[in-house]
Amino acid sequence: MLIFITRRVASMVLTMIAVSMLLFAALEVNIENVAVKVLGPYSSLEQREIWLERNGYFDPIYVRYARWLGDFAVGDFGESIRFKTEVSEVMVPRLINTAILALCVFAVVIPVALVLGVLSGMREGSKLDRSISVTSIVTTSVPEFASAPLLSVVFVFWLGLLPGTSGMAAGFDPIQLILPAAVLIIYDFGYVTRMTRASMAEVMTTNYIRTAVLKGLPYRRVIVRHALRNALIAPFTVIMLQVNWLLSGVIVVEYFFAYKGFGALLLEASLNQDIYLIEACAMVAVFVAVMTQALADIGYTYLNPRIRFS
Amino acid sequence: MAKKDLRDENGKRIHPYIPELCEQLRTGDCDRREFLRTASLLGVSATAAYAMAGKILGEEAPVKSAAAQEPKMGGTLRSAMAVQRMDDPSTYDWEEMSNQTRFICEFLTRTGTDNVTRPYLAESWEASDDLKTWTFKLRQGVKWSNGDDFNADDVVHNFTRWLDPEVGSSNIGLFSGMVEETADGGKRMIDGAVEKIDQHTVRLNLSAPNLAVPENLYNYPTAIVHRGFGVDYEADLASNPIGTGPYELSEFRVGEVCRLRKRAGYWAGDVFLDEIHYIDTGDDPSASIAALASGQVDHVHEVDISAIDLIERIPNAVLHEAVTAQTGVARMQVDKAPFDNLKVRQAVAACMDHAKVLEVAYRGRGKIGENHHVCPIHPEYFQLPALTRDVEKAKALLAEAGVELPLRLKIDLGQADAWHLAAMQEFKQQLEPAGIILELNPMPGASYWDIWDKTPFGFTSWTHRPLGVMVLNLGYRSGVPWNESNYANPAFDAALDEASATLGAKERQAKMEKVQKILQDDAVIAQPLWRSVFSATTSMVKGYSIHPTLYHQFEGVWLDT
Repeated sequence: MLIFITRRVASMVLTMIAVSMLLFAALEVNIENVAVKVLGPYSSLEQREIWLERNGYFDPIYVRYARWLGDFAVGDFGESIRFKTEVSEVMVPRLINTAILALCVFAVVIPVALVLGVLSGMREGSKLDRSISVTSIVTTSVPEFASAPLLSVVFVFWLGLLPGTSGMAAGFDPIQLILPAAVLIIYDFGYVTRMTRASMAEVMTTNYIRTAVLKGLPYRRVIVRHALRNALIAPFTVIMLQVNWLLSGVIVVEYFFAYKGFGALLLEASLNQDIYLIEACAMVAVFVAVMTQALADIGYTYLNPRIRFS
Repeated sequence: MAKKDLRDENGKRIHPYIPELCEQLRTGDCDRREFLRTASLLGVSATAAYAMAGKILGEEAPVKSAAAQEPKMGGTLRSAMAVQRMDDPSTYDWEEMSNQTRFICEFLTRTGTDNVTRPYLAESWEASDDLKTWTFKLRQGVKWSNGDDFNADDVVHNFTRWLDPEVGSSNIGLFSGMVEETADGGKRMIDGAVEKIDQHTVRLNLSAPNLAVPENLYNYPTAIVHRGFGVDYEADLASNPIGTGPYELSEFRVGEVCRLRKRAGYWAGDVFLDEIHYIDTGDDPSASIAALASGQVDHVHEVDISAIDLIERIPNAVLHEAVTAQTGVARMQVDKAPFDNLKVRQAVAACMDHAKVLEVAYRGRGKIGENHHVCPIHPEYFQLPALTRDVEKAKALLAEAGVELPLRLKIDLGQADAWHLAAMQEFKQQLEPAGIILELNPMPGASYWDIWDKTPFGFTSWTHRPLGVMVLNLGYRSGVPWNESNYANPAFDAALDEASATLGAKERQAKMEKVQKILQDDAVIAQPLWRSVFSATTSMVKGYSIHPTLYHQFEGVWLDT
């Protein structure tokens, strides 16, 4: 197990280094471009030269890359051009906001999707299974950019029940979380339900479940004691992957509801070509992606004795 | 014999042109609006100008309507607007930036929604007969928020910064008469261009006549900062928010929120609103409307043309419209192939059906453009013969230019305004019959502003300015920083100088014929339309009217709660 974890961590680090190289190549190799972005299009050639010199941009490229990577490792991301402040000062509150949104989404999606998925997979082809399946397929097929305006029209413009934007300008307000969370929940719960259902249905066809049923165990006991333990391994991985989606895949929702989260920040950074902010956001997104994947793998291995003991 | 100075009943010298102006109003050679505007530009106070006009035209003084509501004090106005950087006001390039700052730092003059420029931090001004020397009397008793007195040193400091190329302010183009070229091709302020006469008097000495000085002083990068700005402390307003205005900065986060709080001791008396909050609802225009619909904001800075029906359907929402000289121009760099060939540019311009583009891209809400960047609402606008689309002429021009057909062109455009893309899609279809294939290259708004003055062919938006000559001086005069087309025509510069130096509306209009004709014939731009702009408020917001430049003037705004 320890060897396995070490290997996973090593591959995680390697992935991140590879991505950092790509990022560096894309954004930092053309130093003239960096100076223009930082000093603005009206800066003179002389100003740019002085700035580049002062910030060590004329050093050999491997020195610059090493220094850049070192700064990143200790959390020094540089200064944001748009926000005129340390990148981390902008990014951390945004990450927290997105985490709050993600928690709300998970708090609903995980219980709902697991229960529905299990109910649906328990008796494949039953009426209950069909209705759950149809519902989850329909909700998952409506993309966020369609469901967000739809919910907004109904609850903001028509019924006037909910606030139209979620910028939290006057401080934290849970009511403002309802619409963005609802859009994400509607999109996501169907997917997790389907995955859980598939896993549950597969377990239900195995021999040991058939044996348990045939030897006369109560159905309830078969499900809770025998089936669930194995059926929930696959959804665990799926749920871990949703963390990644909730971090950088929520751009549409955050943009639509003016929610000040990480996805919206990523968009703002790229629209304004705020190069240090783009770099930091990209690295954080990659870190979360590889981290959740590694955790999913480790967790899967731990939960599944067939892999654990092989 | 020395010319005798004309003086008013208070013994103040009045500009010698005033009697003639009165005569013009009497004979109908100039209208009431133009009279008010010119008279106040020449130093007649707005009250006196309105009174003069009333007397000449035999109008009764307006009686205050009995039904008018008494304004209520207090409350917070929440406005949905992008919250952008607040560093050096002289380098601002968006009106949103200037609006955030507008209630902290004030201007020397102020142009109202009626296009009349009135005194502000300058109490009065006088122009010499040749319009080269402008003397501004500054208001006394104005205090900076740090307790210092506002005086001539502040104004001199601002002019010195604006005209220093190192600062990078676009004001250097506005006040070109105060700038000279250095030996190495750079620019610098002429010695003595700004002169402190006494503690509260400043004189500007221009090398060329300019009528629009007072109006230029209300342009968005001309907010007056404290004399220590960039000297005693860093040139960053957000960290040193010292101003003369009625509000002070209480909270500021780029991209999120800018809160302003009423401060005590404002020179012009009390304002109604306790606080003004700017709330950033992001780039999605529908978000600000959703915020208005759900009562999260009281004012939406700008409503896109695509959303005006939506506003009209929201209960308690009021749509405000201003006809403006805001526009977008498909401008061609005259020193880059194939646009270095006049005939190619003329062919491109000849293909445009202006009315059709206005209808398709802007729902007909505005006026058609005429490729010379002077708007029918400008007082000096000269009506040239109407342009008509002429594909045959375009083909002939291309043949004369000897270009191979089809001619492939690529235009860069920002996507921040949806109508830009719609306008260029329509234009693309209009160019096709002449054998010109236009490729559209839409990009994010910010990316476009990186290349707006570099791309050979681009579609650039220009904001409203109260006089036609102002934008021509900023964007088409040879060598000014915002000359995005690299257009350099001495004949045009000379004609523009002459028009800019002419006081009377009639005479200036006559001189504009030449200016507009040169620009139109040189086909530097294909300009489809002048657009109306819209904003929205809830019905609770009183005393608000939309400014054609979207500048916020909330001093008279109050909330009927």
